[in-house]
Amino acid sequence: MNMWALMPVLATEEGGEESLSLLPEIPELVWGIIFFALLFAFLWKFALPRLGSTLDERAARIQGRLEEAESVRSEAEELRSQYQQRLSEAREEARSIVDEARQTGERRREELVRDAEEEAQQIRSQAREDAEAERGRVVQELRGQLAALSVELASKIVQKELDEEQHRDLVDLYINELSGLN
Amino acid sequence: MAETLDRTYAEGLLTVVEAEGVLERVEDELYQVARLVEGNTELREQLSDASVPVEQRLGVIEELLGDQAHQQTVAAVSYIVQAGRGRQLAAVADAFAELAAERRSRALAEVRTAVELSEEQRERLARALGEATGQQIDLKVVVDPAIMGGVVATVGETVIDGSVARRLEDVRARLTSS
Repeated sequence: MNMWALMPVLATEEGGEESLSLLPEIPELVWGIIFFALLFAFLWKFALPRLGSTLDERAARIQGRLEEAESVRSEAEELRSQYQQRLSEAREEARSIVDEARQTGERRREELVRDAEEEAQQIRSQAREDAEAERGRVVQELRGQLAALSVELASKIVQKELDEEQHRDLVDLYINELSGLN
Repeated sequence: MAETLDRTYAEGLLTVVEAEGVLERVEDELYQVARLVEGNTELREQLSDASVPVEQRLGVIEELLGDQAHQQTVAAVSYIVQAGRGRQLAAVADAFAELAAERRSRALAEVRTAVELSEEQRERLARALGEATGQQIDLKVVVDPAIMGGVVATVGETVIDGSVARRLEDVRARLTSS
């Protein structure tokens, strides 16, 4: 509904004879429109560009800060990534060192066990050889004693049993064998 | 050196004994005395001990040989002891026997037996040894009960051992090594 069309009606209904006019006078209205236009033009010409440039600068600053923040963030992210990588590398290296130490320890342990086994084997062999040599020595000694006893016994029997005639026979046997050699 | 000296003494004694015409007997007796002294340490020490007066040592010889041996044998032993060669008595006697054998163009054979040999055995043994060595042999028989039986003959560096003692020793060696 047109508000301007309703205005006189309302004045009539409420005012009676002295009607209340809400509408400005035409000249006032014209002047108002002119001044408004001038003001609008002035603002459009001078204020708005400055406001726009201010806003643009502000937007640029904000954008710059945003970019800077983004750069810092990405730098921080890169640092964090590098840190993570180094940490990972350090962990890997530590794990490698631990593994190597473990392997070295294992090898050393195996070497020690092997050396100990070899030494034990040598000791056992030496002990066996010593025991064998000792056994041989004892056997040889017993054999020597037995031989000496046997010969001693035989000597006594021979000395006792050999009479003059047998002695002569032995000498004759010697002579005959010596003659047989010639 | 010592062997040369022993031989020199032996040559001197041989000349004297040969001149007396009793070489064979003195040679045998000297050889037997040498074996006796060789087997008797106490007697050997008595005869060679310089701290014992010479007269006392000669008295031992006189007592030992006395009327059993020819006086040339006693004189020869006394001479060796007086010369301070008592310890080399056996070596001088051996050299004497070797020289005597050489004079007869014979080799000396020392024969050890457990019992005395008969004359027939001596001759057969000398003949067998002569055939074995290719030389005429002079036998010097030494009765040595230690050989227990059989004969051990030594001609120069060659030893032909047929003794019971050696056989028993062989048995002992075999028993020990087996």
